[in-house]
Amino acid sequence: MKGGVLKLLIVVVGLNIFFAYIGLYFLPQSESRPPKETKIEKGISQDDLIAVGEQIVFSKGQCMVCHPVKTEVGMRAPAISTIGFEMEKSAKERNMKFESYVFEALVNPSAYIQKGFENMMPPIHKPPTSLNDGELIAVAAYLQSRGAKVSVSYPESVPVLKEQIDIEAKKGGK
Amino acid sequence: MADVSPSKSLIKGVIKLTLFLGVGFAVLFILNRVLSAPTEDGYRFFPVIGSRVWVWIIAQLHLNFAAFVLGVPIFAVSMEFMSWRRNDERLDRIAYDFTKLFTLAYTLTAAVGTILLISLPVLYPKFIDHLMKILGPTWWVYVLVMYVETLVCYYYFYSWRQMKGSKKGTHVAIGGLLNIMGITMLLITSSWVGYMTTPNPHGVSETGELINRWQAIKSYMWIPLSLHRLFANVVFGAGIAAAYAAYRFITAETDEQRAYYDWMGYTSAMISIGFSLILPGIGYLLGVEIYSFNEQMGIQLMGGFFAWLWVMQAILIGAILMFVNYYLWISLNKMPGGERYFKYVKYLFIVNLLGYAVWLTPHSIALSLEEARRMGAYHPVLGSLGVMASKNTAVVVSYMATFLSFTIFKISNKEPIVSWAKLGHTIRAAVIVLSTAAAIAIGIYSYMVTSAVRVKVLSPIQFGIFFLSIIILFVLDTMMYKGAIVIGEPRWGKMPERSQYALIGITVTFTWLMAMMGYMRSGGRQFWHVYGIVKDTSPDAYLPTHGYAAVVSSIVTVIFFALIGLLFWSIMKLEKVADKGGAQT
Repeated sequence: MKGGVLKLLIVVVGLNIFFAYIGLYFLPQSESRPPKETKIEKGISQDDLIAVGEQIVFSKGQCMVCHPVKTEVGMRAPAISTIGFEMEKSAKERNMKFESYVFEALVNPSAYIQKGFENMMPPIHKPPTSLNDGELIAVAAYLQSRGAKVSVSYPESVPVLKEQIDIEAKKGGK
Repeated sequence: MADVSPSKSLIKGVIKLTLFLGVGFAVLFILNRVLSAPTEDGYRFFPVIGSRVWVWIIAQLHLNFAAFVLGVPIFAVSMEFMSWRRNDERLDRIAYDFTKLFTLAYTLTAAVGTILLISLPVLYPKFIDHLMKILGPTWWVYVLVMYVETLVCYYYFYSWRQMKGSKKGTHVAIGGLLNIMGITMLLITSSWVGYMTTPNPHGVSETGELINRWQAIKSYMWIPLSLHRLFANVVFGAGIAAAYAAYRFITAETDEQRAYYDWMGYTSAMISIGFSLILPGIGYLLGVEIYSFNEQMGIQLMGGFFAWLWVMQAILIGAILMFVNYYLWISLNKMPGGERYFKYVKYLFIVNLLGYAVWLTPHSIALSLEEARRMGAYHPVLGSLGVMASKNTAVVVSYMATFLSFTIFKISNKEPIVSWAKLGHTIRAAVIVLSTAAAIAIGIYSYMVTSAVRVKVLSPIQFGIFFLSIIILFVLDTMMYKGAIVIGEPRWGKMPERSQYALIGITVTFTWLMAMMGYMRSGGRQFWHVYGIVKDTSPDAYLPTHGYAAVVSSIVTVIFFALIGLLFWSIMKLEKVADKGGAQT
C-alpha cells in the first residue's frame, strides 16, 4: 500500500516535471513586451519615415498577424509586398486621393473592404493598437512604398489623417 | 462524518463561511493600513515572486477547487436521481461518495478564495476599484449566492441518510437547487473574466466609464465561456473523482473495496471523457466570439505568440487520450470474453499514434514572427501537417479511435441475440469507415479553400460527422445488444495497479492543461487589465516565456494535488474514526 502511494506520488510529480521540461526545452522562449511609442521628428526624410513604418508594421502594429508578406492561397488580408500598388488602384477606382485612401484604410478600415476579404481590421489609432499620428503616417509611407510612389510626409500629412479620424469618430465605430 | 444533524450542518456552514469572509475583510483592512500606499499607477508588489505570479498561483488554485465543487454536483445529483428511479443502492453509494468529496472540498475552496479576496485589492487596488465601479453589484450577489449555495450543499450532504426512502425525491430536488446555485456562481464569475477579456462597447466607454451595467456583464465571451467552464468543470470534477477512486483502489485493504473503487474509477473516468467530447465544440463557439470581438485577439491567441501553446495543448490532450485508451485496453482483461477483442488493440494504437503525431506537429519551426519573416517558408512536409486542416482531421480520427476502444470494452462480455446481428456488425463497420473517410476527405479539401470557409463551414461539418457517427453507433449498439447474452459479469477489482496510474495520469494532465489554457485566456489580454480600456502599467505587463508559464503551471498543479491528497487522506481518516465509533460514513 505504501509502495503504491509512493508510485502515485512519483506519477504526479514526474508528469509535472515532464510537462515543465517540454515547456522549457521544446518550445521557443521569447517574451512579448508592450510596444514602445515611436516619436517621429518633424521633417523626417522619406526613407527614414518608410523605415520606421516598416518597423511598426512588423512589431507594434501587429499587422503581420493577418497580412502575409507575399500573396498566398486563402490569405486573410492583402499581402504587404504589393499593397501600395493595390491601394493606389483602389483609390483611383473610388475617385479618392491616394493619401486619404491609405489613411482611411488604417483608421476607418470598414469603410471599404477589398473584394475577396472580410471586414475584420480594427481602426489602429484606437486601443489596443493605439498608434499615434506620427506612427500612422510612417505606416502609411511604408505601405505606399510597396508598389507605388510615397506621397505622405510628417507633419504635412497630419490634417489629411485627422480628417479620416474625424469621419471614423462621427460614424461611432467600435 | 455524517453524524452531524442537517440543521446543525446549516449553522456550521454559515459560521465557516462568515469566518472566512470576516477574516478576509479584517486582513484586508489591516493590510491597507499597515502596508505602504500603492504606487501612483495603483500597484503594490508581492515580495520575492512578484504580484503576478502570486495572484496567478492563488487564482488558478481557487479556480481548480471551484471547478471541482461546481462540476461534481452535476453528475452526483444525476446519479442520485438514477439511483432513486431505479432503486439502485450501488448508484446511491457512489453519488454519496461524490457528494462527500465536494462537500469536504468546500472548505479548501473557501480558504484559497479568501487568500485571493485579500490579494487582489491589496496588490491591484486601482484595477479592483475599476472592476467594482463597473461590476460591483455582481460581487454582492455573488456573496449572497455563495451563502445560499453553502447552506444547500451542507444540507444536501448531511441530510442524505435521513432523507432516504419516501423523501428521496425532495433530496434530489435539493441537489437540483445546489446545481442551480453553482451555475449562477459560475455565470457571475465568468462575467468578470468576460468583461476583462472582451468588454462590450455598449457597456463601457473607451475611457472606462460605465454606460450600461447589463451590457457590461453581457460581454462577447460571457455565455460561451460559461458553457465551456460548465462542461470543463464536469470533466475536471469527474477526473478528480477518478483520481480519488484510484487512490482508494491502491490503498484498499479488501477485495470488496478494490471492486467498488475500480468501478468508481471507471465510471468517473468515462463521465470525464464523455463530457470532454463536447469541449471542442464549445471551445469553437468561444473562439468565434473572441474573433467577433477582435479579430487580432483571436489570431494572436490561435496563431500569434500563443501558437506554440496549441502544440503543447495537442501534446496534453493526446496524452490524455493515450491514457484513456490504455486504461480501456487493460480493462478488457477483466471482461469475460474481452480476449476476443485484443486483436483490435494494435490497430487502435497505430491510429491513435498517427493522430497524435499529426496533432502535435507545429506549422513552423520558427521561434518568432521576425524569424518566420526571415525564413519566408514553412517546412515542405511538416508545414502542411501543422495547419488546422490536418489537425482537425487528426483530432476527429483520434477521438473516433478512443470511442471505439470504449465500445469494444462495453460489448466485450456480451453476445447479441437479435436476428440482424450480422447486418448490425456490417453497419457498424460501414459507419466507422465512411465517417473516417469523410473526415479525412474534408481535411484534404480544407487545404483548398479560404480560412473563412475552413473555419465556418468545413470544421463544423467535420466535427458534426464525428458526433453523428458516435450517436448512430451508440443507438445501433443499444438496439443490437438489447437482451444480449452476458458471457460473464465484469470482474471489478481485477485490475493491475498500473491501470490506476493511467487514471491519475488523465487527471494530472487535465489539471495541467487547465492551468495552461487559463494562462492563455488571461494572456490574450496582453498588456491590459481590461482589454483596450484599463492598461496594465505594472512591471509585470508582459507575456513571459512559454517555459516560465509551463513551470508556473507545474507548480500550481503540484500544490493542487498536494492539497487534494490531503483531502483524500482526511476523508479516509474520518471514515476510520467513524467506523471505530460505529457512525455512518
